[in-house]
Amino acid sequence: MSRSSTPGSPAGHPAGPAGHRAQSFDYTDTEDEVALDPALVTSPGHGAVGVFQAPRPVPRRTPPAEPTAVSAGENADIDSPFLDLFGASRPGGARAVTAGPATREQPAIPQQPPAAQPTRRVPDPEPSWTADQSTDVGRPIEPRRAAGGPAVESRVPHQAGDRLPMLRPPHEPDPTAGGASPSSANGPATLPANSAPSARAAEPASAVPADRPALERAPRRGAPGRPTAVGAEQTGREVATPRQRPAARPDKPTRVRAPKIKFGDRDPSVELAITEIAGHLTFTPNTVTAWYWLPEVRWAFRPDAEREALLSAISEQYAGLAGFRLHLRRTTRPFPADEWARTIDAHTPAPLPDVPGTAGWADHLVAAQRHLMAVNHAEGQTYLGVTFARRSLGDSLTERLLRTFGRGTAEGERRKLGRTVEQFDEVLGAFGMRGRRVTAQELEWLLYRSVALCMAPPGRLSPVTDGRWERGDLLAMTEQVERYRTPYGSTVKLVNRMTGEERHVAVLAVGRMEPLEIPERHEPWLHFHERLPWPMEISTRVDILGSGDSFRNLEHRLRMIRSQQLDYAEHGIDAPPELERLAKRALVIGDEMTTGLPVDSARAHGWHRIAVGGRTREECLERARRLIQLYSRELRISLQHPKNQDWLAREFIPGEPIANTGYVRRMPVPLLAAALPQAASNVGDRRGDLIGRTAGTCRRPVFLDLHFPMEVRERSGLAVFVAEPGGGKSTLLGALGYLAARRGVQVTLLDPSGPLARLCAMPELRPYSRVLNLTGSEHGTLAPYSLIPTPLRSEFGAGAAGDREFEIAVSNARAERRMLVQDICMMLVPPQVAREASTATLFRHAVRQVPAEETSTLDDVVSCLGRLDDDAGKELANLLLDTAEMPLAMLFFGRPPEGLLGADAALTVITMAGLRLPDLKIEREYWSAEEALALPMLHTAHRLAVRRCYGGSMSSRKLVGLDEAHFMEGWRSGRSFLVRLARDSRKWNLAALVASQNPRDILGLDVQNLVSTVFVGRIAEDAEIASEALRLLRVPVNDGYEATLASLSAADTSSAARLGFREFVMRDVDGRVQKVRVDVSYVEGLLDHLDTTPAAIAAAAGVLPSIPLPDLEA
Amino acid sequence: MRLRTDDDIYRARLVYLGPPGYTLPVHLPYAQYGLFMLLVPLYMFIHWLFTLNVELFPAWEIALAIVTTSFIFRHVDPDRPARVVIRTALTDWRRTREPAIEQRDPRLVGSRIRIREELA
Repeated sequence: MSRSSTPGSPAGHPAGPAGHRAQSFDYTDTEDEVALDPALVTSPGHGAVGVFQAPRPVPRRTPPAEPTAVSAGENADIDSPFLDLFGASRPGGARAVTAGPATREQPAIPQQPPAAQPTRRVPDPEPSWTADQSTDVGRPIEPRRAAGGPAVESRVPHQAGDRLPMLRPPHEPDPTAGGASPSSANGPATLPANSAPSARAAEPASAVPADRPALERAPRRGAPGRPTAVGAEQTGREVATPRQRPAARPDKPTRVRAPKIKFGDRDPSVELAITEIAGHLTFTPNTVTAWYWLPEVRWAFRPDAEREALLSAISEQYAGLAGFRLHLRRTTRPFPADEWARTIDAHTPAPLPDVPGTAGWADHLVAAQRHLMAVNHAEGQTYLGVTFARRSLGDSLTERLLRTFGRGTAEGERRKLGRTVEQFDEVLGAFGMRGRRVTAQELEWLLYRSVALCMAPPGRLSPVTDGRWERGDLLAMTEQVERYRTPYGSTVKLVNRMTGEERHVAVLAVGRMEPLEIPERHEPWLHFHERLPWPMEISTRVDILGSGDSFRNLEHRLRMIRSQQLDYAEHGIDAPPELERLAKRALVIGDEMTTGLPVDSARAHGWHRIAVGGRTREECLERARRLIQLYSRELRISLQHPKNQDWLAREFIPGEPIANTGYVRRMPVPLLAAALPQAASNVGDRRGDLIGRTAGTCRRPVFLDLHFPMEVRERSGLAVFVAEPGGGKSTLLGALGYLAARRGVQVTLLDPSGPLARLCAMPELRPYSRVLNLTGSEHGTLAPYSLIPTPLRSEFGAGAAGDREFEIAVSNARAERRMLVQDICMMLVPPQVAREASTATLFRHAVRQVPAEETSTLDDVVSCLGRLDDDAGKELANLLLDTAEMPLAMLFFGRPPEGLLGADAALTVITMAGLRLPDLKIEREYWSAEEALALPMLHTAHRLAVRRCYGGSMSSRKLVGLDEAHFMEGWRSGRSFLVRLARDSRKWNLAALVASQNPRDILGLDVQNLVSTVFVGRIAEDAEIASEALRLLRVPVNDGYEATLASLSAADTSSAARLGFREFVMRDVDGRVQKVRVDVSYVEGLLDHLDTTPAAIAAAAGVLPSIPLPDLEA
Repeated sequence: MRLRTDDDIYRARLVYLGPPGYTLPVHLPYAQYGLFMLLVPLYMFIHWLFTLNVELFPAWEIALAIVTTSFIFRHVDPDRPARVVIRTALTDWRRTREPAIEQRDPRLVGSRIRIREELA
């Protein structure tokens, strides 16, 4: 298939089906037309995260049979600028051209900007205003038309190309129009000349199969009921009127050219209350507000004491702001998936070359971005505004005067304010909120997000991250947002006139609150909404009352209650008992206020609102209903849905007045501090592979680059995985191995039980991977002496110090070899013999005789033992020779074959298929001979897996995954192995993943402080193991987190299906701990290949490098 | 940390029981009497606009004020003071069902705002 047919649909053609339309049709027909003008609508949804479809099952589109449809669909799907980064190499076309895998010929990658010039950004950051849509082929046009029904059709098209499909059928046989360039909107005027009616009559309808889909669609839209198949009378009619058409054509564009632009300056508009933004200050005519940015704080998995310290620090800060009105705003920012993709691409100098017919590296990244978009992760941004100064009349007048000269607030006033503001910096910058001043741009961003409440942010997918916005752009953009309300309606409708985006917003007010136990039992009450998967906005306006004010307020209330009681007494009626109770409570509070600290006495009286948005009114109300339900059930807070919604929505905008005085909440300052809207749960780095999302109170994507600890944090690369069987260790290990291999990391996985070997059968990895099955290997493969590499002089620095280090390293290697050989010998002899004291002595003696070099073999030890003039020694030699007769033990004797583990393969999986692993709980005496042999095999296999990594260059990225590491426990060499691994990991840039069933293995080896990343899966059986796992995570033990571990990956007992996900508690290199749901479903076929259930293994049995199962789901 | 709001103190129901020595048969919140006393002159004024004379005993006005007051106070609760209810009713008025053509509110425009990078 030629490339020319792939890139995108022709200008006026509808792009493929747009999944979730962000617009509706009902209002625009009567209102101004411009909201629909295709020239203004840049892309479907225009940055709305919701428009992206979930990753689709078959990106393996072999030469696209229907080029226009497929490519249009792709374009419609993903709107990331990153797509354009790969230039014209869209998945379909790219693969078609790829010649050979070995030469790394994929056209996708070479087109990427090299890391050195990351600023090259192909897509226009502001394509919204490009009028020439017809040339912009890569971008899908007008999704609403695509999915539109007759309602849309009836409207006057605004683009020349719009009419094209209707007119196409007559030109169906035209080869130039059909095959050459569907993308070039040649203009309708040129086409009729080409379409000779005679040619059309001669050519059958099916002559141009490539053009079929577009054509088939066309008649349906244009003239319903008219078949494309050339009916005789129709053809006749068409043929008969060729002269008319050129005449008819030109006046259609004339109709197009006159869209009624009705809106204009006459439209009602209200200026915002804000008149000026200066740095982090906003001015309204009467007040000045200083805005601060509150960074996110970690909440999950922290000890309660730490949380309480945080809350009390924050409440002290609030109390320090007594007398001021605060505006706490939390808005969201969609996750910048394209930015992440650019980062990971920059950190991947040599991704695995693409295999023709499979998803290449570019497709892989696109799939990940789609996945990110589909799941809709939004990051929170919290702003705190302190309204602190009533401006004098003179100030306001001066400003008004100066404004006419374009100068704004007077110099003197600003200087005065500057001094005042510094004390807020001091209060807010301390531990607790750690607020910093916002920049003017952040304020503009907040203002835009508040005016366009719950709408898609500007700048398509990733809003301002690099400060690209010109000053003032956002303010001008507020003008595009129109607001509609219905009388006593429950939502406000916001429409962005530029993009046609429509949002319905419901504002909920926090009503009655029951007592909360915040660190112990409940989540922070304004952080809690993040449990729900859509982004919401929060606006909290509070007056902080100092001790004097709040006591006066309370006293007044108490007097009223008392007088009411007195009234009842005078009238001789029984007073309701609640009065007495409330009076007592007021007394207690009053006592607290007068005798306590300022924190105890300060009160926050204010209004708390949450805005929920939706694409339709129904969706919005449904979301609001779910939010209300969640709050009332889990937090016992009743969220109310008051009327007067548009005023409430306006309250979110900084500087605007408060909508009404209803639902005022009066609370002590610690309760306000416990709202903690800035709480978050981030984990992982932002430069690695996408492995899932956090599963705590909020959803954030989790990325993990296993080389991040070594390359950036300068820590060891040891990662530990602990879970019960079935907790998903192997799957996670395999997935991480796969993802790393895709990035060109040299991966070695040791998987004794063998299911990971099926990874090598994945089509994109098959040419670059190999399976080494130890049970069928030649003898000498696991020869213990050669498993420990001799250090090279080049690995150490020059000079005498380097020499010294080198010598130490060499002798260390020798000592380690001796230790390993002794341990292996001990494992090989029966346990009864091993327990005798003389055995150890003899082995030590023999091992001392044999030079501890890589070239030595176990046979040397046996012969050395045999030469001893000691019966016990001879007996030991015979015992070892006895074992050597077993086929598996042959691996230990002799020399290793050359080139056993070449450094060439990107992914090597070492398995021991068929090996029976012993149960470590059973005494060694009772193990069968085969099981007994498994122990030394595992030991040496671990070494073998790591041995491979010492082959290449030191700085190249390597990854070793070791499953079933708990067999290393209890042996000296096991600990030295892990310690060495952790220590070498930095030097060799080696990420080592160690999976074990029991955290005690790792804790027992005392390498805990060398571990950088920890994953703990489900541990429900044994509370002791759970608390040890928590110790590994460095999470407080006996704080109730054991139950969290037990509830991980909890299966729904009522469903018969397999659990589709696995959850872990992850601790990253920076010490952040979070519950993580691993989700690598965006990699097509990966989960099928990692399925370790018996059924799946049976399906793949025998045909180890099997043909991948067809991907049925996802 | 057990944290609770002070709202219940403000939720106490304060009712007028009657003048000393005489207990009214119905106990209504003070605010209701206040609203009633505001409404009666209002209705009298409206009546005066139509008829240009003032009646000695404004029976109709009192009846209307009672109805209006009770209607308003049907929507009043501790979280929604009468002021809010009246204000909402006055600002959010028109039909309660959704009309075919939506009412467009004025756009909120921030084009006039002046921006400085720094304060000084």
